[in-house]
Amino acid sequence: MRPVFEIHFAGTLEAFEQAFAGLRLALDAEPLDAGPRYQVELVFEEIVANIIRHGAADGRRPDVRVSLELDPDSIRLTFEDDGVPFDPRVCPERAPPKAREGAGGFGLLLVHRAASSLDYLRTAEGHNRLTVTLPRVVG
Amino acid sequence: MQMQVEDGGQGVFNIALSGRLDTPGVSRVETRLTAQIVPRGARAIIDLSQVEFVGSLAIRMFITIARAAGRNGGKLALYGAQPPVAQVFETTSLNEIVPVRADAASAAAVVSS
Repeated sequence: MRPVFEIHFAGTLEAFEQAFAGLRLALDAEPLDAGPRYQVELVFEEIVANIIRHGAADGRRPDVRVSLELDPDSIRLTFEDDGVPFDPRVCPERAPPKAREGAGGFGLLLVHRAASSLDYLRTAEGHNRLTVTLPRVVG
Repeated sequence: MQMQVEDGGQGVFNIALSGRLDTPGVSRVETRLTAQIVPRGARAIIDLSQVEFVGSLAIRMFITIARAAGRNGGKLALYGAQPPVAQVFETTSLNEIVPVRADAASAAAVVSS
């Protein structure tokens, strides 16, 4: 895997937007097809938004680290944060929206559909570390 | 995130969005879009042809607005989504709540019926 992007930022909307712009700039320099590129951006959006919205421990904004690595066949996004423990692998897929009262809960569904694998670890330092692997070619 | 509103005739508003409907983009447009559609129970169609990215927060926004508008007698439909955006709509089954159509004419027909 070849590292192409790494960033560390505070879990705020402003820092999220800047980090997202940095990711897109890094992706601009890579020969990535439009489909996989969209999936990378979608996974970044959903996971980071989830950390910012739900990850605060004791009212403290989580710190977020994200890295992006590429190889000829796959893409790997690794997210690490110091927020409340959350393992997205166990989040069940949701029913279609008409069957539900609420309007949310689609983010992890989109991540699960985009990913070829999700690996989660609660580190010894008490951080969430999520690795999402995506296919380089979207069928 | 830009938003332009036109009177599409026959009581239907045509609202064109352009830019990114990621978390920052939704936070910029949601209040204005809601105010345009919900209080008056408007019949509105939203042109997404210039929207390059949609995430789950945008799905939630469209569902929330469509449901609230419906309670006031309004209707909402979306059209013109680019292929990756249309794929997100398909994955989330958005069309079950908010009609998603290919073009303005078919979207207008849905909200006018």
